[in-house]
Amino acid sequence: MKKYIGAILVLLAVFIAGCSDESSGSAQNFPNGNIEIIAPATPGGGWDATARAMQKIFDDEGLIEENINVSNKPGGGGEVGWQYLKNQDAHTISINSSLVITNNLLGQSDLTYEDFTPLGILSTEWISVAVPPDSSFGSGKEIMQQLKKDPTSLKIGVAPSLGNNDHLSFVQAAKEFGVDVSKLEFMVYESGGDVLTALLGGHVDVASMSVSESKEQHLAGELEILAVSSEERIEGLEEVKTWKEQGVDMVFPHWRGIMGPPDMTEEEIAYWDEKIGKMVESEAWQEVMKNNEWEPYYHNSEESKKFLAEQTEKYQELLQQAGLTE
Amino acid sequence: MGVDFQSFIEGLTTAIQPMNLLWVLIGGFLGTVVGMLPGLGPATAVAVLIPITFGMDSTSALVLMAAIYYGAMYGGSRSSILLNTPGDGSAIAATFDGYPMTQQGRAGQALTISAIASLIGGTVAIIGFILLAKPLASFALDFGPAEYFLLLVFTLSAIVSLSKGNMVKGFISMSIGLLLSTVGIDLQTGVYRFTFDIPQLSEGIDFLVVIIGVYAVGEVLYNFLNIDDIKKEKSKVGKKGITREQWKSSKWPMFRQGPIGFLIGVLPGAGGSIASMLSYTTEQQLSKNPDKFGKGAIEGVAAPESSNNAASVGAFIPLLTMGIPGSGTTAVILGALIMLGLQPGPLLFENNPDTVWTLVNSMFIGNLFLVVINILLIGLLVRILDTPPKILYPLILVLAFIGTYTLSYSIIDFYILVIFGVIGVVMKLLKFPVAPLILGVIVGSDMEQNFRKSIVAHDNFINILFASPITITLLIMTVLSIAYPFIVEWVKKLKQGRA
Amino acid sequence: MARLIVPSFFITIGIVYLVLTFNLPRSRTGDPTAPLYFPLLIGGILVLFSIIYFVQEWRKRDEKFEAFKALFVGRTPFIIVSTLIMIFVYTFLFERIGFLFSTIIFLTALLFIVNGRKPWIKNILISVLFSVVFWYAFSELLNVSLP
Repeated sequence: MKKYIGAILVLLAVFIAGCSDESSGSAQNFPNGNIEIIAPATPGGGWDATARAMQKIFDDEGLIEENINVSNKPGGGGEVGWQYLKNQDAHTISINSSLVITNNLLGQSDLTYEDFTPLGILSTEWISVAVPPDSSFGSGKEIMQQLKKDPTSLKIGVAPSLGNNDHLSFVQAAKEFGVDVSKLEFMVYESGGDVLTALLGGHVDVASMSVSESKEQHLAGELEILAVSSEERIEGLEEVKTWKEQGVDMVFPHWRGIMGPPDMTEEEIAYWDEKIGKMVESEAWQEVMKNNEWEPYYHNSEESKKFLAEQTEKYQELLQQAGLTE
Repeated sequence: MGVDFQSFIEGLTTAIQPMNLLWVLIGGFLGTVVGMLPGLGPATAVAVLIPITFGMDSTSALVLMAAIYYGAMYGGSRSSILLNTPGDGSAIAATFDGYPMTQQGRAGQALTISAIASLIGGTVAIIGFILLAKPLASFALDFGPAEYFLLLVFTLSAIVSLSKGNMVKGFISMSIGLLLSTVGIDLQTGVYRFTFDIPQLSEGIDFLVVIIGVYAVGEVLYNFLNIDDIKKEKSKVGKKGITREQWKSSKWPMFRQGPIGFLIGVLPGAGGSIASMLSYTTEQQLSKNPDKFGKGAIEGVAAPESSNNAASVGAFIPLLTMGIPGSGTTAVILGALIMLGLQPGPLLFENNPDTVWTLVNSMFIGNLFLVVINILLIGLLVRILDTPPKILYPLILVLAFIGTYTLSYSIIDFYILVIFGVIGVVMKLLKFPVAPLILGVIVGSDMEQNFRKSIVAHDNFINILFASPITITLLIMTVLSIAYPFIVEWVKKLKQGRA
Repeated sequence: MARLIVPSFFITIGIVYLVLTFNLPRSRTGDPTAPLYFPLLIGGILVLFSIIYFVQEWRKRDEKFEAFKALFVGRTPFIIVSTLIMIFVYTFLFERIGFLFSTIIFLTALLFIVNGRKPWIKNILISVLFSVVFWYAFSELLNVSLP
C-alpha cells in the first residue's frame, strides 16, 4: 500500500515542478504562450461581455494566433482581479473602468492605475437623468433649480454604489448649478434594473442611469430622459439635450478600458497597441458596440495614460464634494 | 396586451420548427442536469453558454436559455429528494418532505409527483403569462420598499413558524442567517461591514455557497459520522406511480400554489426560493393534518415544486415587458439578449411579437418535454441510491467544491463552504432547523435595504406598516403565521378541557 | 452541564457581533449611524433568543446530553478530521497545480479515507474518471475558466 502513496507523492512533486517551470519562459518573442483576458467580475455583466467580445474578435479575425482564455476573477469591485494581474506577465491583460481610480480614492484599495500599464480605453456609455413621464420637470435644469432650493426634496435613484459613475455624474451636474451636494438624498439600488423598477413604480423621483438602460423605456414613453452626459446629442435620442446645452460645462463618460501588468517592455506595449487598435476597427467590434448601446471611445496606450491622470483628478474632486472623502 | 390570436399561432409555428424544438430539448435537459448538481444553478449554466449563443438567432437563444431556466427547476428537486442536497434556493423546500419520502422507500413517487407538480405550476403560469403579462407588470411596480420589506418579513416568519414546538431554535437560526447577510459593503452608505479586509467578502457571502455548505457538505459530513453503519440494504425506491388518494390530496395544493408562485416570480427580486417556501408553509397551515408535513407528506413535495416552476415563468414578465431582470438568471439572460441585439423592454411586444410568442409556446412544449424526460429519468436517477454511500458521498463532496468554484471563481469560498458544512452538521446534531438560516442569508440584505429606503420614504416605522393595502395584508399574514401554531394549540386544549 | 455550552456559544456570538457593530466605521453621508441599526437589531434578537434557549436548557440540565456522541464513535473522528485536512490541502493545491490534478488527488484521498484501502484500484479509477470527465466538460466544452 505504501508504495502507492509514495507514487502519488512523486507524481505530485512532478506536477508542482512542472507548473512552476512554465511561468519562467523568456520574454523574447512576445507573445510566446497563452493569452489571458481577465474580467474582474462574474459572467454576465459589462466587464465579462467586453472580455469575451475581445476574445472572440481576436480569434475570429485572426489577430492573435495564440490561445486566448477569459478568466473571471470577481470580488471587491475589481480588486481581486487586479491584484492577480499585478503579478502576471504581459500575456495577461484585464478590463478596467473608473473603479480602478475610485476604489483607491475611497480607501478601498491600495492599487491605482499607476500600478499597471494602461493599454487602452475601449468604449464608453453615457449617463442619463430620467424622471417618470408624469413628472412636473421638463428639463435637467429644472430639477437642479428645485434641488438648489431644497437639496433633500427629491429622492434620487442610483446603482450599484455611492462613488460610482451614475452617482458622481449627478453630483457633478448638481454642483455646477450650485446645489449643496452633500445634502442630496440618494437611494442606492443593487443594479440599474432595480433603479428602473423604482422609477417606473414612482418610488424615486429622479434616476441617474446609463443611457443603455433608459433609452428603450424613453422611446416607449415609460419614462422621460431630461439630460445626457455626452458631448453631443445621442443617436436615436435627438430630442434630449446634453448637460452642456443646459448650461453645465460637463461631459461624463462611463468608460471601460484595458490594462496590463506593471513594468511591461515597450515592445510588449506596442504589440498590444497594434492588436487592440486593429480590433476596435473591426466590424464585429462595431456590432458589439451597437448592440450594447456602447460608444467607441478608443484611446491608445499613450493617450490612456494621460486620460487616466485627468480622470483621477476629476474623481478626487467629485468624491470630496459628494462628502465621500476628506 | 390581450391575446393576439394570430401572433400566438405564428409563435406556435416558429416554436415547433425542428431547430427550436431541438434547442428546447437540449436546454431542458441541460437545465435538469445543472439543476441536479449542487452549486451549478441555471444562472451559471446560462452564463457559460453565452459565448455559444453568439452565433445564434436571438429567438432561438432566448428559447434555449429559458429552457435551461425552467429545466433547472425540474432538476433541482431531484437531488433534494434523493440526497437531501438541494442545488439551489428554490429546491430547498423539496427536501422537507421529499427526503423523508426517500428514506421511507418512496423516492419513485416523490420524483413523479414533483415532475407533475412542476408541469402543473408551469402550465398555470404560462396561461397567466398569456392573459396577464402587462397588468401584472404594473402590479409588480407597485411593490415599493415598504411592500418588499413586509413580504420578506412575512416569508421569514412563515419559515420560522415551521419549526413548531421549537420556535426559539428557529429564531436563533434565522438571526444567524440575517447576521451573515450583513457582511459586505452597505449599499446605502458604502460602509464596509464585517469584511475583515478580505476583498472577496466585500460583495457579501453568496447564499448559494451557504446552501451548498449547509446542505451538501453538511449532509456528506453527517453521513460520514456513521458511514460504516449505513447498511447497503437494497434501497427501496418504491413504485413510480402515484395512487388515486395521493393525487387527490396533492391536486389542490398544486393548482393553488401555481398562481401564488407565479405572482411571486413576477415581483423582481423575490423569485423561486421565496415562492416555494411560502407555498410549503401555506399548504401546511391549510392542511387538515399539518403534523404529516416534514414526515413525507406528498403534498409537501407537490406544493413547492408547482410554485417554483411557476415562479420561473413569472420571472420572464418583468424581463420581457420592462427589461427588468427579476432574478439572477434573468439578469444573465438579459445580458445575453443584449449581446445578440435584442433589447427586452416595453417595445419588445410591439417590435418583436414573434419572439415573445415563440418563447411562450416553447415554454409550453418545454414543460411537456421535461415531464417526460424527468419521469423517464427516474429509473436511472434512483440508481444513485444504489451507489455505495462510501463512494457516493465523497463524489458529492467533490461536486460541491466544483460547483462552488464556478459560482465566483474564488477559493475563499472553499473555506466558507467548509465552515458552513461543519455548521450544517452541528445544527443537524442539535436538531436546529436549517431553513430559517438559509432564508435569512437569502433575504437579509434585501430586507435591510428595503427597510432603510422605506424609512426615507415614509419617515417612521408605523407608517411603513400601514403604507398601502398590500403592506397591511402582509402585516396581518405575518402576525397570523407566528400566532397560528399557538392558536391551534390553544383550541386543542380548549377541546380537551371540554371533553 | 455540557448542554449549556451551545446556548452560551450563541450568546457569545451575539455579543461579539454587537461589539463589532459598535466599532463599525460611521457613514460619511446622511445619518452616520445608519449602517448600524439593522445589525444591532439582529444582534439583539440573537442574544435574546439565545438567553431563552439557555434557560430552556438549564431546566433540562439533569437530563443526559448526547447530541455529539456520534462524533466520537469508532472510525468517525478519524474520518472527519482527515476529511477536513484533505479539504484544506485541496484548497491549497487547487490554484497551484490546477483543477484536474488537485481534484484527482483530493478524490482519491477521500475514497481511501472513507471507502478503505482495499478497493484501491476502484478508488483510483473512479477518481481519475470522474475528474477528467468534469474537467473536460467544463473547461473544454463549456469554456469555464478553471485553473
